[in-house]
Amino acid sequence: MSDQTTPPENPEDDDRILAAEYALGLLTDEERALFEARLDADAELRAEVISWDEHFAAIVLDDGEEVAPSPQVAKRLRTILFKPQKQSIWQQIWPYGLGGVAAALVLWMTISTEIITLDGPAVNPDLVAELAPTPDGEGLVIRAAVDTSLGAVEVVRAAGTPPEGRVFELWLIAGDAPPVSLGLLEEGNSTVIDLPQELLAVLPGALLAISDEPPGGSPTGAPTGAVRAAGPLTSS
Amino acid sequence: MTPQEEVENLIARVAMGDRAAFNRLYDRTSAKLFGVCLRVLNDRVEAEEVLQDVFVTVWNKADSYRVNGYSPMTWLITITRNRAVDRRRALKLPPVPIETADLLPDSKPGPEDSAVAASEARQIKACLDELPRARAHLVQRVYLEGYSYADLSEATGVNLNTIRTWLRRSLMALRECLSR
Repeated sequence: MSDQTTPPENPEDDDRILAAEYALGLLTDEERALFEARLDADAELRAEVISWDEHFAAIVLDDGEEVAPSPQVAKRLRTILFKPQKQSIWQQIWPYGLGGVAAALVLWMTISTEIITLDGPAVNPDLVAELAPTPDGEGLVIRAAVDTSLGAVEVVRAAGTPPEGRVFELWLIAGDAPPVSLGLLEEGNSTVIDLPQELLAVLPGALLAISDEPPGGSPTGAPTGAVRAAGPLTSS
Repeated sequence: MTPQEEVENLIARVAMGDRAAFNRLYDRTSAKLFGVCLRVLNDRVEAEEVLQDVFVTVWNKADSYRVNGYSPMTWLITITRNRAVDRRRALKLPPVPIETADLLPDSKPGPEDSAVAASEARQIKACLDELPRARAHLVQRVYLEGYSYADLSEATGVNLNTIRTWLRRSLMALRECLSR
């Protein structure tokens, strides 16, 4: 670095000016690459860049205008940073598990006031579930009724359809066990699915969940699409 | 706590994944940083996209702040300014013309020259005021609006090599003044 008291004839030769041009983004791609290659090994050069950045930023700090961005920016940031794109099934369904008691109460009230009528039930249910839509399942109204003596569950989709090119798959989640596929919902409003004998004992209090899957169902045996609705099975 | 310590403290907490600290940091600094984006891009939609991008970087890179030697607001302002300039160049925004009559090398120092109050004034401001006003204007266009040498050349009609020499001499004078 040149003696600071006697500026060189050609400012171009001076690293301090090069550092300023680097800080300002004025170097060509080639010049910048050469400069950056030196930066790693040269602490003095780094300090020079930082010093320029500090001085220039001071212009903004003192005189820079403050303008409030639209509230949408903060909202988008929260979505991008704080909501993982792909949640595990446990993250998606836990509120429905906790809300089981409340959901059961709502169900009891709606059934007892005859708001819900399972249309000519194919089963004589002893367990029922109201599958509340998740944020991904807006508009879905799905109820399930289990007849344990028959070993079957009837799922009634009163409103909502799977996304284009997808099918709904029904899952049973008992305790901490991984979700077990019970089968695909048919295109019509009502689907009756036979339940494996070994699952009948774990049904009370277990969660039913609906995910969307490719035609033919989840290729992996575990839910691969978003969970669209979920709710606990309670005694009817 | 000084404002600087407060921002520093918030960045340190953001580095540990503290969401409340991130929200506070955003509330505390977003208007200043948005002003930077807007000055460079002159378009709210573009500026908001850059601002969003900046805060995603802050969330992801806050842990690298401690070791980089910057004061906290400079770190934030520098990231913001550089992102906005990158966007400006990608969009190929045309420069706003600059009156060339003022750019002659021997044009007078800015009028504020004598009025610079010693202690409070930021050094950089005092030193910019020592430059001929039009030269100081070029430096500000480059920093605040992200002009490249090509932009300055187009805006003034002066050929690129001459503009480059002028700006470098201005930076040299600035640097001499700043080190006094």
